[in-house]
Amino acid sequence: MSNQKKETTPEKPLTINQRRWSKFKGLKRGYYSFYILIGAFLLSFFLPLFIGSKALMVSYEGELYFPALRATWNHATWGLVQISEYVPRDELGQEGGGDEGVNYRALQAQYELEDEGNWVIMPMYPYDPFEDLGTEGNKVFMAPFETESYTVAGMELESTPRIFGTDNNGRDVFSRMAYGFNISIMFALVVALSSYLIGIPFGALSGYFGGWTDMLLQRVVEIWSTLPFLFLVIIFVALMGPSFFLLVALLAFFGWIGISLLMRAEFYREKSKDYVAAAVSIGVPTRQILVKHILPNSLVPIITYFPFAVVLNISSLVSLDFLGFGLAPPTPSWGAMVGVGLQNITTGYWWLVIVPLAAMFITLLLTVFIGEAVREAFDPKVFSRLR
Amino acid sequence: MAEYFIRRLLLAIPTFFISTFIVFTIVRETPGSPLDRAIMELKMSAATEGAASSNSFGGSGEIPEEALEELKRFYGYDRPIWRAYLDWLGVMPRQTVSYKLTEGTPRNIGDGVRAIANIENGNWVIRDYRDQDRVIDTWTIDTETKVADNGDKQVRIFKEERSGILQLDFGKSHEYRQTVLELVKERLPISLQFGIIGLLLSYTVCVYLGILKALNHGSAFDLTTSVLVFVGYSIPGWALGAVLLVMLGGGSFYDVFPLGGFQSDNYETLSFFGKVWDHAYHFVLPTIAYTIASFASLTMLMKNSLLENLSQDYIRTAFAKGLREKRVIWIHAMRNSIIPLASRIGFIVALFLASSYLIELVFNIDGLGMLTFRAILARDFPIVFGFAVISVIIQLVGTMLSDLALSVVNPRIRFK
Repeated sequence: MSNQKKETTPEKPLTINQRRWSKFKGLKRGYYSFYILIGAFLLSFFLPLFIGSKALMVSYEGELYFPALRATWNHATWGLVQISEYVPRDELGQEGGGDEGVNYRALQAQYELEDEGNWVIMPMYPYDPFEDLGTEGNKVFMAPFETESYTVAGMELESTPRIFGTDNNGRDVFSRMAYGFNISIMFALVVALSSYLIGIPFGALSGYFGGWTDMLLQRVVEIWSTLPFLFLVIIFVALMGPSFFLLVALLAFFGWIGISLLMRAEFYREKSKDYVAAAVSIGVPTRQILVKHILPNSLVPIITYFPFAVVLNISSLVSLDFLGFGLAPPTPSWGAMVGVGLQNITTGYWWLVIVPLAAMFITLLLTVFIGEAVREAFDPKVFSRLR
Repeated sequence: MAEYFIRRLLLAIPTFFISTFIVFTIVRETPGSPLDRAIMELKMSAATEGAASSNSFGGSGEIPEEALEELKRFYGYDRPIWRAYLDWLGVMPRQTVSYKLTEGTPRNIGDGVRAIANIENGNWVIRDYRDQDRVIDTWTIDTETKVADNGDKQVRIFKEERSGILQLDFGKSHEYRQTVLELVKERLPISLQFGIIGLLLSYTVCVYLGILKALNHGSAFDLTTSVLVFVGYSIPGWALGAVLLVMLGGGSFYDVFPLGGFQSDNYETLSFFGKVWDHAYHFVLPTIAYTIASFASLTMLMKNSLLENLSQDYIRTAFAKGLREKRVIWIHAMRNSIIPLASRIGFIVALFLASSYLIELVFNIDGLGMLTFRAILARDFPIVFGFAVISVIIQLVGTMLSDLALSVVNPRIRFK
C-alpha cells in the first residue's frame, strides 16, 4: 500500500477553494438543493414557453407565427424592452372585436373544429399570470382543478383545468405562483448584492482604520438599528408609490448593517496579521492592501451569510406584498395573493393562502439547505465532546 | 456596573433624538409627504381615488380640511425643519389652539368666552363680545390679515405653549377623534401580552430544545428536531399563522380555533373561568406565530453555544475531578452557554415589533401594529409619529435589556 503511493507522482495539493467545493459536493442535501434552485431560477426566465397564454407556434394558411417568443423576451427583460404581444384577431382568422387580442386557447379549438390544416401549439399550461376577467373563460375564485365552459365566437369550449384555481381578478394562481418565483429570487439577489455593496466598504473602513472612523461609523450603525425598519419602508412606499427599484433601494438601505458588522470584525482581526504588516512595510498603498490583501481573506463570513440574506429578503418581500406595500400590482407576487386569501378567509379560498406560502416555504427551505451546506464547507466546526 | 448603565442611559438620549429626528424628517420631507399628498387629494378628491386605494386593505387616503390645517400647524410646515422638530418635541413653544376670526363677527373661543375682532387704527383688537370694553390679551394675534372671497377680513389668533412628545402630547388622531396617547394606552397591553408570552415561551422552549439537541448531537432526536428548525427558519411567523388560520380556523378545513380576534363578542357575559378559557382559546394561534419567528435561530444558537462550551478544557477538568454529568452540564457549561442568548434579547424585541403588524393583521387583533398600519393607510400622521417614537424607545430599552441580561449571566463582562 505504502509502496504504491510512493510510485505515483505526487498530486498537486488542492487549493482551499477546491477543498471547499469538494466538501460542499459531499453535503448532498445542500448540493442538490443548489442545483434544483439554480436550475429552477434559470428556467424561470423562459417561463412563457411553459406557462402562458401565448401560443408557442401557430400555423395559419401555411405561414408560421411564434407569439410566445416575444412574451419570453419581454419576461426575461422584465419589460425593460417593451415589445407588443398584441396580435389582432382577424390576422389569424379568429372572429371577434377589432381591439381584442387573439385568444390562442380558443384559436386552437377553432382550428381543430375547422380542420383546414391550421394548427396551434400551446405552452404546457396555457394561462398567463396577467390575463384577468377581460379574457373569455376566466372567472373569479375558481377552485383548484375546476373547469369552466364558455362560449367564444359561437363555440362551446371547456377550459383546461386550473391547477390551483384563480384569484379575485380571475387570474390563474398556478401561473402567478410560477412567475412570482422568478421575481422573488431576482429581487432577493439584487437586494442582497446591493446591501453587500454598501456594507462591505463601510465595515472594511471601520475595521481597518479603527479609532475615530470606527467610532463614527459605529454610532451610525447604532442609530440605524434603532430605526423601525418595516415601518419606514411602509411609509416610503405609501408616500412615494410602489416600484421595484424603490423597494430594492429601501431594503438595501436597511440591510447593509449586518454585513458591515461582519466585515468590520473580519478586517479588525486580519489587519493585525503578519502579511498585512509585510505589505505595509514594503509600501503597498492602503487601497491595495484593503482590496487585494485583506478582502480576499475576509470573505468567508459574508459568503456564508449570503443564502441567509436571500432568505431574509424573500420573506421581507412577501411580507411587504402581503401588507400591500410591495411591488406594484399587477406584478405576480406571493404576498399579495395571501392578502386576498386572508380577506376572504371565511369563504374558504384556501388555495390563495396555501399555494403561494407553500411556494415561498419550499424556496426558502432549499435556500436554507444551501446556506447550511455552504457554512459547513467554508467554516467547518468540529465539536469534540468528552463523554 | 451602575456607572455603566447610567452612561448607557445618557448615551441613549442623543440616540433617541437623532433617531426620532431622522424619522421625523423622512415622514415630513418624503416626496408626497403627508401635506403634499393631503393638499393634492383635497384638490382633486372629487375626480380620482388616491393611490392608497390600490392597497389591498383599502383606506380612503383623504384628510378633512380642518384636520389638514391642524396638521400643518402641528408639524410646523411653515417653519424650517429643525424648528418644526423642536416644536414637535416640545422644547420650543408652538401654536396649540387657534381660531380664525372674521372682522365684526363674534365667535366662541373656548372657556365660555365669545370674542369679536375689529380693526382699530390699523391694528387688530380682540374684545369680549359680551363685555366689549374688555380687551382680550391672552391670545397672540397673527400678523397676517387674510381677505376672504366675500371681502371679509380675517385674522387668526392663537396660544403658544410648549407641548410635544416630551410633554407626552402626541397630538390627536383625526380618524378616531381621540388623542394618540389614549389610543396607544388601549392597545399597548394587547400587543404586550403577546410579546411577553411569546418571548418567555420562545426562550423556554428554545433553551430546552437546544440543550437536548446539544447533548444528543448527531442522534436521531437531533436530526428530527433539525427538520423542525429548518422549517421554522423557512417560514415567517405570520405566514405560519396564516396557514394555521386557514387550516384550523373553520373557513376551509377544520374548525378548531376562532378566526382571529382578541376575544369573543360575548366576552363580557362570560364567567371568570369562561373568560380565561376564551382568552386562552384566542391566544393559541397568534402565540405560535410570534414564537416561531425566533424559534429556529434561538434553538441553533443554544445548541451551538453549548456544544462549543462542552468541548472546552474547563469541562474536561470538571469531569476529571469526578463531578456528576448533570452538575457539569447545568452548572458549569450552561452558565457560559447562555451568554449569546442573553445578548439576543434586543434583537428579539425588534423582531417582535416588526412582526406585530403582520401577525395582528393576519389574526385581526386590534393592537398597536394594526393601529399603526391603519393610520398609515388613512394618513393619520399623529398616530404614525407616535408609533415611531414608541418603537424607537422600545428598541433602545431592548438593547439595554440585552446588556443587563448579559451582565447578569456573565459576571466577567465589565462594561466600560
